[in-house]
Amino acid sequence: MEKTLHQVSYRVYWLTWILLLGITLFMIAIGYSAIPRLPKVLLLLMTMFTKGSLIAAYFMHLRFEKLQLIYTVALGILVTAAILWTFITFDGMRILQLSLR
Amino acid sequence: MSQQHSVQTMESHWGGGVSPFAVGWNKLMMWLFIITDALLFAGLLSGYGFVRQISPQWPDRSEVFHLEFIALMTFILISSSATMATAVGAARQGNRKMATRFVLLTVLGGLAFLGMQAYEWTTLIGEGARLYTNPWGVPHFGAAFFLITGFHGSHVLSGVIILAIVALRNALGRSTAEGVELAGLYWHFVDLVWVFVFTLFYLI
Repeated sequence: MEKTLHQVSYRVYWLTWILLLGITLFMIAIGYSAIPRLPKVLLLLMTMFTKGSLIAAYFMHLRFEKLQLIYTVALGILVTAAILWTFITFDGMRILQLSLR
Repeated sequence: MSQQHSVQTMESHWGGGVSPFAVGWNKLMMWLFIITDALLFAGLLSGYGFVRQISPQWPDRSEVFHLEFIALMTFILISSSATMATAVGAARQGNRKMATRFVLLTVLGGLAFLGMQAYEWTTLIGEGARLYTNPWGVPHFGAAFFLITGFHGSHVLSGVIILAIVALRNALGRSTAEGVELAGLYWHFVDLVWVFVFTLFYLI
Protein backbone atom coordinates (compact mmCIF):
# COMPACT_ATOMS: atom_id res chain seq x y z
CA MET A 1 0.00 0.00 0.00
CA GLU A 2 1.27 3.43 -0.90
CA LYS A 3 1.44 5.68 2.14
CA THR A 4 2.54 9.29 2.42
CA LEU A 5 4.85 9.87 5.36
CA HIS A 6 6.06 13.42 4.92
CA GLN A 7 8.80 14.47 7.25
CA VAL A 8 8.04 18.00 8.35
CA SER A 9 10.81 20.05 9.92
CA TYR A 10 10.48 20.82 13.65
CA ARG A 11 10.96 24.47 12.68
CA VAL A 12 7.57 24.40 10.90
CA TYR A 13 5.85 23.20 14.10
CA TRP A 14 7.41 25.86 16.30
CA LEU A 15 6.77 28.61 13.74
CA THR A 16 3.12 27.50 13.64
CA TRP A 17 3.09 27.58 17.45
CA ILE A 18 4.44 31.16 17.53
CA LEU A 19 1.94 32.21 14.88
CA LEU A 20 -0.95 30.63 16.83
CA LEU A 21 0.11 32.40 20.03
CA GLY A 22 0.40 35.70 18.15
CA ILE A 23 -3.08 35.28 16.67
CA THR A 24 -4.47 34.38 20.12
CA LEU A 25 -3.02 37.59 21.61
CA PHE A 26 -4.48 39.53 18.68
CA MET A 27 -7.90 37.95 19.33
CA ILE A 28 -7.79 38.84 23.01
CA ALA A 29 -6.87 42.43 22.08
CA ILE A 30 -9.89 42.52 19.73
CA GLY A 31 -12.06 41.07 22.50
CA TYR A 32 -11.07 43.89 24.85
CA SER A 33 -11.22 46.64 22.20
CA ALA A 34 -14.10 49.08 21.88
CA ILE A 35 -14.72 48.52 18.16
CA PRO A 36 -18.39 48.08 17.09
CA ARG A 37 -19.92 44.65 17.62
CA LEU A 38 -20.39 43.54 14.00
CA PRO A 39 -16.81 44.19 12.78
CA LYS A 40 -15.52 42.75 16.06
CA VAL A 41 -17.47 39.51 15.60
CA LEU A 42 -16.46 39.23 11.92
CA LEU A 43 -12.80 39.83 12.77
CA LEU A 44 -12.91 37.25 15.57
CA LEU A 45 -14.57 34.67 13.30
CA MET A 46 -11.96 35.26 10.59
CA THR A 47 -9.07 34.85 13.02
CA MET A 48 -10.77 31.79 14.54
CA PHE A 49 -10.94 30.07 11.14
CA THR A 50 -7.33 31.11 10.41
CA LYS A 51 -6.19 29.49 13.65
CA GLY A 52 -8.23 26.37 12.96
CA SER A 53 -6.80 26.10 9.44
CA LEU A 54 -3.23 26.44 10.73
CA ILE A 55 -3.75 23.63 13.25
CA ALA A 56 -5.37 21.35 10.66
CA ALA A 57 -2.82 22.14 7.95
CA TYR A 58 0.46 21.93 9.88
CA PHE A 59 -0.12 20.18 13.22
CA MET A 60 -2.51 17.62 11.72
CA HIS A 61 -0.44 17.44 8.51
CA LEU A 62 -3.51 17.86 6.33
CA ARG A 63 -1.54 20.18 4.05
CA PHE A 64 0.75 17.26 3.15
CA GLU A 65 -1.97 14.67 2.56
CA LYS A 66 -3.50 13.75 -0.80
CA LEU A 67 -6.19 16.07 -2.15
CA GLN A 68 -8.79 13.29 -1.86
CA LEU A 69 -8.32 13.18 1.91
CA ILE A 70 -8.35 16.98 2.25
CA TYR A 71 -11.61 17.21 0.26
CA THR A 72 -13.17 14.35 2.23
CA VAL A 73 -12.39 15.98 5.57
CA ALA A 74 -13.24 19.56 4.57
CA LEU A 75 -16.32 18.81 2.47
CA GLY A 76 -17.46 16.06 4.84
CA ILE A 77 -17.63 18.53 7.70
CA LEU A 78 -18.88 21.55 5.73
CA VAL A 79 -21.58 19.82 3.65
CA THR A 80 -22.99 17.75 6.53
CA ALA A 81 -22.93 20.79 8.83
CA ALA A 82 -24.68 22.87 6.16
CA ILE A 83 -27.40 20.23 5.68
CA LEU A 84 -27.96 19.83 9.42
CA TRP A 85 -27.92 23.60 9.97
CA THR A 86 -30.40 24.21 7.17
CA PHE A 87 -32.93 21.74 8.50
CA ILE A 88 -32.49 22.61 12.17
CA THR A 89 -32.60 26.37 11.64
CA PHE A 90 -36.15 26.31 10.24
CA ASP A 91 -37.38 24.44 13.31
CA GLY A 92 -35.34 26.69 15.56
CA MET A 93 -36.79 29.85 14.05
CA ARG A 94 -40.29 28.42 14.32
CA ILE A 95 -39.76 27.71 18.02
CA LEU A 96 -38.44 31.26 18.42
CA GLN A 97 -41.56 32.70 16.76
CA LEU A 98 -43.82 30.53 18.93
CA SER A 99 -42.03 31.65 22.08
CA LEU A 100 -42.43 35.31 21.11
CA ARG A 101 -46.22 35.03 20.72
CA MET B 1 -8.36 -4.90 -27.15
CA SER B 2 -11.42 -2.78 -26.58
CA GLN B 3 -11.93 -4.43 -23.18
CA GLN B 4 -8.33 -3.64 -22.26
CA HIS B 5 -8.85 -0.04 -23.34
CA SER B 6 -11.99 0.16 -21.21
CA VAL B 7 -10.15 -1.13 -18.11
CA GLN B 8 -7.37 1.43 -18.63
CA THR B 9 -9.91 4.24 -18.89
CA MET B 10 -11.60 3.18 -15.66
CA GLU B 11 -8.30 2.97 -13.82
CA SER B 12 -7.15 6.37 -14.97
CA HIS B 13 -10.54 7.83 -14.04
CA TRP B 14 -10.35 6.42 -10.50
CA GLY B 15 -6.73 7.43 -10.07
CA GLY B 16 -6.51 6.15 -6.53
CA GLY B 17 -5.59 2.50 -7.00
CA VAL B 18 -6.29 0.40 -3.91
CA SER B 19 -5.54 3.29 -1.55
CA PRO B 20 -7.17 6.49 -2.83
CA PHE B 21 -6.27 8.48 0.28
CA ALA B 22 -2.71 7.11 0.47
CA VAL B 23 -3.06 6.49 4.19
CA GLY B 24 -3.49 3.33 6.26
CA TRP B 25 -7.00 2.21 7.26
CA ASN B 26 -6.45 3.17 10.91
CA LYS B 27 -5.48 6.72 10.01
CA LEU B 28 -8.46 6.99 7.67
CA MET B 29 -10.75 5.74 10.45
CA MET B 30 -9.27 8.34 12.81
CA TRP B 31 -10.06 11.06 10.26
CA LEU B 32 -13.64 9.77 9.90
CA PHE B 33 -13.98 9.76 13.68
CA ILE B 34 -12.67 13.35 13.78
CA ILE B 35 -15.25 14.40 11.15
CA THR B 36 -18.12 12.92 13.17
CA ASP B 37 -16.80 14.37 16.43
CA ALA B 38 -16.42 17.77 14.74
CA LEU B 39 -20.09 17.57 13.79
CA LEU B 40 -20.99 16.85 17.42
CA PHE B 41 -19.24 20.03 18.53
CA ALA B 42 -20.69 21.95 15.56
CA GLY B 43 -24.15 20.90 16.80
CA LEU B 44 -23.37 21.94 20.38
CA LEU B 45 -21.94 25.31 19.34
CA SER B 46 -24.84 25.94 16.91
CA GLY B 47 -27.27 25.15 19.74
CA TYR B 48 -25.38 27.60 21.96
CA GLY B 49 -25.59 30.26 19.23
CA PHE B 50 -29.32 29.72 18.91
CA VAL B 51 -29.91 29.80 22.68
CA ARG B 52 -27.90 33.01 22.88
CA GLN B 53 -29.97 34.56 20.10
CA ILE B 54 -33.31 33.76 21.76
CA SER B 55 -32.16 34.94 25.20
CA PRO B 56 -33.18 38.57 25.77
CA GLN B 57 -29.82 39.17 27.49
CA TRP B 58 -26.55 37.33 28.02
CA PRO B 59 -24.13 37.72 30.92
CA ASP B 60 -21.26 40.14 30.38
CA ARG B 61 -18.26 37.82 30.00
CA SER B 62 -15.98 40.19 31.95
CA GLU B 63 -18.29 39.75 34.97
CA VAL B 64 -18.26 35.96 34.73
CA PHE B 65 -14.85 34.93 33.40
CA HIS B 66 -11.27 35.97 34.06
CA LEU B 67 -10.09 36.28 30.49
CA GLU B 68 -6.39 36.27 31.45
CA PHE B 69 -6.92 32.88 33.09
CA ILE B 70 -8.72 31.49 30.02
CA ALA B 71 -5.97 32.93 27.80
CA LEU B 72 -3.41 31.01 29.89
CA MET B 73 -5.45 27.80 29.41
CA THR B 74 -5.44 28.47 25.67
CA PHE B 75 -1.68 29.09 25.72
CA ILE B 76 -1.12 25.76 27.50
CA LEU B 77 -3.31 23.81 25.06
CA ILE B 78 -1.69 25.35 21.96
CA SER B 79 1.75 24.67 23.43
CA SER B 80 0.78 21.06 24.13
CA SER B 81 -0.24 20.75 20.47
CA ALA B 82 3.23 21.97 19.44
CA THR B 83 4.92 19.42 21.73
CA MET B 84 2.65 16.70 20.31
CA ALA B 85 3.55 17.67 16.72
CA THR B 86 7.23 17.46 17.71
CA ALA B 87 6.62 14.02 19.25
CA VAL B 88 5.02 12.83 15.98
CA GLY B 89 8.00 14.21 14.02
CA ALA B 90 10.44 12.42 16.34
CA ALA B 91 8.47 9.15 16.09
CA ARG B 92 8.56 9.37 12.30
CA GLN B 93 12.33 9.83 12.44
CA GLY B 94 12.59 6.76 14.66
CA ASN B 95 13.74 8.80 17.66
CA ARG B 96 11.76 6.88 20.26
CA LYS B 97 13.30 8.59 23.32
CA MET B 98 12.54 12.09 22.07
CA ALA B 99 9.03 11.05 21.02
CA THR B 100 8.29 9.66 24.51
CA ARG B 101 9.64 12.81 26.17
CA PHE B 102 7.47 15.10 24.06
CA VAL B 103 4.36 12.93 24.48
CA LEU B 104 4.89 13.16 28.25
CA LEU B 105 5.24 16.95 27.96
CA THR B 106 1.92 16.95 26.10
CA VAL B 107 0.35 14.88 28.91
CA LEU B 108 1.61 17.48 31.41
CA GLY B 109 0.03 20.25 29.31
CA GLY B 110 -3.25 18.34 29.21
CA LEU B 111 -3.21 17.80 32.98
CA ALA B 112 -2.49 21.50 33.58
CA PHE B 113 -5.40 22.42 31.31
CA LEU B 114 -7.73 20.01 33.14
CA GLY B 115 -6.63 21.35 36.52
CA MET B 116 -7.34 24.90 35.40
CA GLN B 117 -10.71 23.92 34.01
CA ALA B 118 -11.60 22.21 37.29
CA TYR B 119 -10.64 25.44 39.10
CA GLU B 120 -12.80 27.50 36.72
CA TRP B 121 -15.78 25.18 37.21
CA THR B 122 -15.33 25.16 41.00
CA THR B 123 -15.18 28.97 41.09
CA LEU B 124 -18.34 29.34 38.98
CA ILE B 125 -20.20 26.68 40.98
CA GLY B 126 -19.09 28.49 44.16
CA GLU B 127 -20.62 31.67 42.76
CA GLY B 128 -23.93 29.84 42.31
CA ALA B 129 -23.79 28.72 38.69
CA ARG B 130 -25.74 25.53 38.00
CA LEU B 131 -27.08 23.79 34.89
CA TYR B 132 -30.42 25.61 35.07
CA THR B 133 -29.82 28.59 37.34
CA ASN B 134 -27.11 31.16 37.85
CA PRO B 135 -26.67 34.54 39.54
CA TRP B 136 -26.52 36.35 36.20
CA GLY B 137 -30.19 35.74 35.48
CA VAL B 138 -29.83 33.83 32.20
CA PRO B 139 -30.78 30.17 32.85
CA HIS B 140 -29.48 28.95 29.47
CA PHE B 141 -26.02 30.29 30.19
CA GLY B 142 -25.18 27.59 32.76
CA ALA B 143 -26.49 24.78 30.54
CA ALA B 144 -24.50 26.00 27.53
CA PHE B 145 -21.33 26.62 29.54
CA PHE B 146 -21.24 23.35 31.48
CA LEU B 147 -22.31 21.25 28.49
CA ILE B 148 -19.82 22.64 25.98
CA THR B 149 -16.79 23.01 28.27
CA GLY B 150 -17.70 19.71 29.92
CA PHE B 151 -17.78 17.86 26.60
CA HIS B 152 -14.49 19.45 25.61
CA GLY B 153 -12.97 18.67 29.01
CA SER B 154 -14.00 15.01 28.69
CA HIS B 155 -12.20 14.93 25.34
CA VAL B 156 -9.08 16.40 26.97
CA LEU B 157 -9.28 13.80 29.75
CA SER B 158 -9.58 10.90 27.29
CA GLY B 159 -6.75 12.43 25.25
CA VAL B 160 -4.51 12.56 28.33
CA ILE B 161 -5.28 8.88 29.08
CA ILE B 162 -4.60 7.85 25.46
CA LEU B 163 -1.34 9.83 25.38
CA ALA B 164 -0.18 8.34 28.69
CA ILE B 165 -0.75 4.85 27.25
CA VAL B 166 1.06 5.83 24.02
CA ALA B 167 4.00 7.24 26.03
CA LEU B 168 4.24 4.02 28.04
CA ARG B 169 3.99 1.79 24.96
CA ASN B 170 6.50 3.96 23.13
CA ALA B 171 8.96 3.81 26.03
CA LEU B 172 8.61 0.00 26.06
CA GLY B 173 9.18 -0.13 22.31
CA ARG B 174 5.69 -1.42 21.58
CA SER B 175 4.29 1.59 19.73
CA THR B 176 4.73 2.42 16.06
CA ALA B 177 5.23 5.87 14.55
CA GLU B 178 1.69 5.63 13.17
CA GLY B 179 0.34 4.93 16.67
CA VAL B 180 1.92 8.16 17.95
CA GLU B 181 0.60 10.01 14.89
CA LEU B 182 -2.99 8.79 15.45
CA ALA B 183 -2.91 9.91 19.10
CA GLY B 184 -1.47 13.20 17.87
CA LEU B 185 -4.32 13.68 15.39
CA TYR B 186 -6.83 13.27 18.20
CA TRP B 187 -4.94 15.69 20.45
CA HIS B 188 -4.71 18.37 17.75
CA PHE B 189 -8.44 17.96 17.16
CA VAL B 190 -9.06 18.66 20.85
CA ASP B 191 -6.94 21.81 20.49
CA LEU B 192 -8.83 22.77 17.32
CA VAL B 193 -12.19 22.50 19.10
CA TRP B 194 -10.89 24.72 21.90
CA VAL B 195 -10.08 27.43 19.32
CA PHE B 196 -13.80 27.51 18.46
CA VAL B 197 -15.00 27.27 22.08
CA PHE B 198 -12.58 30.00 23.21
CA THR B 199 -13.69 32.40 20.46
CA LEU B 200 -17.41 31.75 20.51
CA PHE B 201 -17.87 31.42 24.26
CA TYR B 202 -15.25 33.63 25.85
CA LEU B 203 -14.51 36.35 23.29
CA ILE B 204 -17.76 37.05 21.41
